[in-house]
Parts: sequence; structure tokens; C-alpha cells
Amino acid sequence: MQKPRPRVKLPKSVVTGVPFTVRTRITHPMDTGLRLGRDGKRIPRRIINRFVARYNDEVAISVDLEPAMSANPYIQFEMAVQESGDMEFEWLDDDGSVYRLSRRIKVRS
Amino acid sequence: MVDFPVANMDLTRRNILAFAGAALAASAAAFFPIRLVRASTDTSRAIAAFTKGAVPVEGGVRIEAPEIADNGGSVPIRVSAENARRIAVFTDGNPYPGVAGFTFGKGVTPTVSTRIRLARSQKLIAVAEMADGTYRATSRPIIVTVGGCG
Repeated sequence: MQKPRPRVKLPKSVVTGVPFTVRTRITHPMDTGLRLGRDGKRIPRRIINRFVARYNDEVAISVDLEPAMSANPYIQFEMAVQESGDMEFEWLDDDGSVYRLSRRIKVRS
Repeated sequence: MVDFPVANMDLTRRNILAFAGAALAASAAAFFPIRLVRASTDTSRAIAAFTKGAVPVEGGVRIEAPEIADNGGSVPIRVSAENARRIAVFTDGNPYPGVAGFTFGKGVTPTVSTRIRLARSQKLIAVAEMADGTYRATSRPIIVTVGGCG
């Protein structure tokens, strides 16, 4: 499998207190553990089981994912901030890997 | 003698039916923690685990999803609940009942869009934990033409 590649889409600039949309996605097969491979054996479960986004070290959203989430899990949410800062995104894989991405958010008043 | 209400009743057909009906309703209520969404037992159990046993009140949660999904492997959904601090999504026809649980922090609107897998036509159930600690729930049927491996 290719190494999962996280992606995030944010507006170029945001306005204080006005909600903006955050789109996140990571390339990942999200193997449910129920499917059979070509050899007739079960493909072991391997999913992204948790996603966390933090803004200035404070948790903005955390998600617990189950195998019923589609491959390349996509999560879109809306948030508003009061000041410029750093948004950190974190995806936790069943195999113990952690994929991270960080973005600067600039606020114009 | 034990004071059992039926003991004093005339054993007419009407009385027997009324008692049987009441007993059935009571046992059904105990069996399905949320009658309102009439979910399977696995799903009911998963929901009860999320609500810590509380019975959610119907309404207050919005599920936006296609009525008919062509590809069960990727069904776009959007769930929202005003004043929710957590929202969990369940299904009643997938191999596992849970889909995802969302916890909202500071500044985040309790609205999320995502894509899920549905093994067949079934009901989607969204349960929200409100800021005051109460629970609300909404369900929505989705017809799936080609199932995705849930």
C-alpha cells in the first residue's frame, strides 16, 4: 500500500468569529477486516480509527472512526476562530502510525 | 394471596387481550431502548453505550443524505444538531452498528459532512449529546442500489 497522504483545504484568510469550512481527507484503504483477498483469506482490519484537529493546542474536533467510514476518509467541519494560529491535524492508523499536517490560519478583522 | 391486578378481573377476551398487549409493549420497551427509531438489538446496544443508557428524545438532529445511494461504498452524509457537544452515527444493517463519533470543541459548529459505507438499504441513526447532557436522535432510511463492504 502507498503511504497514506493527508490533505486539508482551508480558506486563504478568515474573518474573526465568522465560521469557515475545513475539508480533510487522507488516502487510506480503510480495510474493514471483513473482506476476503484474492487468496480467499481475510484482509486484516486496518483503518484510520481516530482523527483530531487542534487549534492553538486546543481540541477543535475529534472523531472516532469505524470500519463503516469510506476509504480515503473525508471529514468536513465548520469552525470560527478569534485569533490567528496554527491548526494541527492528526490521523491515527490501526497499525500505530500517526499522520500529521499543520496549517497556519490568518485572521483578518 | 398476591395482589395481582388480573386476579380480580373477569377473564373475558377483552381483559386478556388488554393485559397481553400491555405486557408485550412493556417487554418491547425493555428490549429496544429506543423504540422511536426501532433499531436492531446490536444497534440499540451501541446507542445505549453512547448515551450511557439514557433514552434519546426524537428530533433535534438533522441527517442530510441521498434517498437513493448508487454506490454503497461511499455515501455522502451531513449530520448536524444545534447545541450538541457530541454526535454519533449508527446504522441498523451493516456488519457493525457504529459509523463514527464526533466530539466538538471550542468554536466548532456541530455539523459534519463525511462519506460512509452502507452494505445494503438500511436506516441511518444519528444521536446527539446536547450541551445540557440530554440526548436526541433522528433516523433516516437510505436505499442502496450497490452495497459497499461495510
